[in-house]
Order: sequence, then C-alpha cells, then structure tokens
Amino acid sequence: MNTKAVRANRQKLAFLAALVLLCAAGYMLVGVHFDNAKLVQYAVKIRTPKLIVMLITAFAIGGASIVFQSVINNTIVTPCLLGMNSLYTLIHTAVVFAAGSGSILAVNANYSFAVDLVLMGVVATVVYSFLFKKTKHNVLYVLLIGTVLSSFFSSIQSTLTRVMDPNEYDNLLATLVASFSNINSEIIVISLFVLAAIVFALRRELALLDVITLGKDQAINLGVDYDRCVRRLLLGVTLCIAVATAMVGPISFLGLIIANLSRQLLKTYRHTQLILGSALFGMIVLVGGQLLVEHAYSYTIPVSVFITVGGGVYFLYLLLTNRRA
Amino acid sequence: MHVKNLTKRYDGKTVVNSVSFAIPKGKVISLIGPNGAGKSTVMGIISRLIARDGGTVDFEGSDIGKWKSRELSKRLAILTQTNNIQMKLTVRELVTFGRFPYSGGRTTAEDQEIIDRAISYMELGAFEDQFIDELSGGQRQRAYIAMVIAQDTEYVLLDEPTNNLDIYHATNMMKIVRRLCDELGKTVILVLHEINYAAFYSDYICAFKDGRIARFGTVKEVMTKENLSQVYGVDFEIMEIAGRPLSIYY
Repeated sequence: MNTKAVRANRQKLAFLAALVLLCAAGYMLVGVHFDNAKLVQYAVKIRTPKLIVMLITAFAIGGASIVFQSVINNTIVTPCLLGMNSLYTLIHTAVVFAAGSGSILAVNANYSFAVDLVLMGVVATVVYSFLFKKTKHNVLYVLLIGTVLSSFFSSIQSTLTRVMDPNEYDNLLATLVASFSNINSEIIVISLFVLAAIVFALRRELALLDVITLGKDQAINLGVDYDRCVRRLLLGVTLCIAVATAMVGPISFLGLIIANLSRQLLKTYRHTQLILGSALFGMIVLVGGQLLVEHAYSYTIPVSVFITVGGGVYFLYLLLTNRRA
Repeated sequence: MHVKNLTKRYDGKTVVNSVSFAIPKGKVISLIGPNGAGKSTVMGIISRLIARDGGTVDFEGSDIGKWKSRELSKRLAILTQTNNIQMKLTVRELVTFGRFPYSGGRTTAEDQEIIDRAISYMELGAFEDQFIDELSGGQRQRAYIAMVIAQDTEYVLLDEPTNNLDIYHATNMMKIVRRLCDELGKTVILVLHEINYAAFYSDYICAFKDGRIARFGTVKEVMTKENLSQVYGVDFEIMEIAGRPLSIYY
C-alpha cells in the first residue's frame, strides 16, 4: 500500500499532537504566579477541568463531523444540520421561561446537563433512527428533517423570548453561548462514559467507514450491510454532538472547520487518520482560542465568536474553491 | 443463476413484470432494450442493490436474499455508473478495496499479489499512485474494473459500462469485457445501450420491452430484423460483418 503517504500523514499528525501539547501547556501555565503555591494550586484547580472539557469536546465534534460528512458523502455539510444547537437553545429558553432563571433546573449544572442529554438523546433516537428507517434510508430526507426541525425549534425559542421577562432574558442569554466554565467533574465523567459507550457500540461500523465513502452501491457490492450501518452511524454522530452540546453549548459549527482542515492536510480516505486529525485540530482551535480569549482579550469576546467568524470565512473559501462537487 | 417471476413496482407502476431467465455460466450476456424497459432494474435486483416486490433470484442453490452479504461479495461483483467519490483515493487504494470482502481493512501478502496482478492486467501500473479524480473517464473506468478483478468473483455485473466513453474507450471496454470472460473465465452480465456492441462482443442477448423479456437467446437468434423492430419500434437492417450480425437503424 501507499506507505509513503501513510508515513507522511503520521508525521503530520504527530506535529498536530505536539501543537496540542504546546497549546495545553500554554493554557495551563500562562499567567500563573509561580511564587505563591496557593495561587498555583488555585490556577490548576480552575484550569484543569476546562482543559479536559475542551479536549473532550474537540474529540466528540471532530470525530462526529468526519463521520457525518462521510456518511452524507459531502464535505461541506456541518453537523449543525442535525438541529442539536437549536434544540439546546430551545430547551434552555423553555426551562427559564417555565421555571424561571432561579430554578434548580437552570442553576444546577448537573440537572441542566441531564435534561439536555435526555431530551437530545430522545430526539436524536426518534429522528435519526426511527424516521431514517421510515424514509427508506434516504440521507437527504434526514438532512431536510434536521433543517426543518432546526428552524422549528428556533421559531418556538424566539416566540418564548419575545414574551419573556427582560431580566430573565438577560440571564438566559449568557447561558446560550458556548462556554467551558461551570462544568464540574461529574459532568466530565458522565460525558466521557457516554462517548466511550458510543465509540464501543459503533466499533464495527467505524471500521467500515472507509468502504462506505465509496458510495452506497460499491459498499453493498463489497458486502457491507449499508442501511443498518449508516443508520447506526448517524445515530452515533447525533449522540456525540448532543453530548458535546449539552456539555458546553452550541458549538457544532466548529465541526465544519476542523473536519475540512483535517481533510485538506491529510488528503486521505483513511478514517482513523481523518478522525484523529480532526480531533487534534479541534483541540488546537479550542485550547488556543481559549488561551487568547482569557489572556489577550481578557474574556471580552467568547471563543465561539472566533469560531463563528473564522468558520464562516473558511466555509465561503471552501464553497469557492471546491468546484469539483 | 436462475431468475423466476421477478417483479418490481414503483408507486403502483410495474417496471419489471414476472421476468424469468437462467444465466449460462462462463458467457457474456447483454441486457438490451429501450429506456424504461426494466433492464437496469433487473440488474439491480439480481445484484441485491434494489429490493424486489416478487419472484426469486436463485444463486448457486439458495436465494440471493439468504446469502450473507460478505459471502455474496466474494462470488458476485457489480459496477454501476453512480461512482462519485468525494475522497482522495489513489488507483491502487481503490483496487485494494476489491479485497475488502476477503480481508477487511488489512490486506495480506496474497492480497497484494492479487492487487498487483489486477493493476497490471488493466495496464494501470503507470497511474497506480494517481488520484482517481485526476484520471480521464476511460482510465477511471479501467481502475474500477481492476477493482472488480481484485474482488475475484465468478460473476461480474456491469451497468452501462460504455456510458460517457468515446468510441475508442468504449470499444476497449468491450474488449476488456470479452477478456474477463475468455481469459479469466468469468460470467459477465452487462446492460448496454449500443446494440452493436452487444451483438459483437456477447454470447447471449436478453432483450427487454415494457418490463418483460421480449427475446432471450444467442446473438444470432436475437439479432433479427423482426425482433429488433419489435423491441425498439424503429426499422432495422441486419448485416453480417466478420461473421457477426450487426444492425443498422434509422
């Protein structure tokens, strides 16, 4: 096999991993007062969970985006299309609207994480498993359903905010932006557990991804149970995005950027490498971005703003250069 | 392979209507007929790409639906025209996928040998490290055929292999089809629009009309003025060139 390219890609991935380490070290060390042991301890305590959350998020979004694009057979789709972002926004708005911003569901991170995860899980299972079967495994219908659901959720959400108490709305707004603070170790453990379960359940399907990208006919020709495989992968992708979104907020647009950066850099069909590359890019963007946000902009701009602006420009670039598609 | 009473409906419209035929082993069989006659659908059904509404497809003793997909893919290969790959894939990597039914993602030394042979058989050695999307149409088609050869199946099904190819490449493609049968001993079933390619390069012709088989037989039996006029609804003249009946239509 093309061993030269494989080796070159391994080197690129090692370089990315080194960059991730650099970013992580920078994030942990910049601005720490090393002369005072208590302050060092405090900084470590504050920064470690944030760093872990960013790494997990990057892995979940990066992996899910590559899988999603390969299943849809289109490299400019983003898992945003699955509607998890707007569902998250809707859930949080509805909670504040119905129970008030002081209610335990809104204030307690564990509860709100649980509510997000359960609701998103249910919607994901219904839409991307059940409806997918009903529509005779047509991925385009699934995309369409996702898009329609997104605008459906957003419409309800904007209706709710319109009749909401302005003070409550002000409180709500802060929680609708992706953020890595206010995440405790229990949430981290649960997220890790759920993600590990998804990866484990899908280990066979993930190994078939390379063949699936040849298209439906070729995949069947080579002996893949295509419909079942794609259904399970789609469900897994949605659940991964749901976990990441429940953890940090609407962030899945990031997937478009990092998945394509990985594809551009590695130029391969091997999904183990693509997924790894995408996850590493995600880690660099998130950790590096957060480093800038905290120390260069002193929290005035959230990292999701960078992602949206940068991602939007990059998306346009992809559209303009990708004439082949 | 025996096909019995095959039926397929789309939205209540019957596109394949109780089609039955037996495929002779080690021969080239062309399915011809006007657009919408159901030949591609039949091809899709016997290769398990399309679900049927009725009938049986008996393949080596048991119905095609009862076969394990992985096992079937070692016996029967299908090449369709819908091959748009978004991936960066080299010729060699594509051909390597032909070994997937045997060894999954990990190829053995024996697989590599088979891949080497398939590539040199299709004379793709010079391009083996080029990306598929940088090849010309004819080269790409040959790369896919090399993959099918690497898949090492007894049956090869080709859906309109000469589509989008110019005369030179289309003729070469038909010569390759002939070699697959004569040199490698495969049974090749193909859907063709070019009647004369079917007449010149195949052993049997199966002519479809309105979802049914109009004629099935050797080339000489099917290629008559009356048969073709009836199937296509236009006037035909049959000439004999190099001992083969060729048609002129106008």
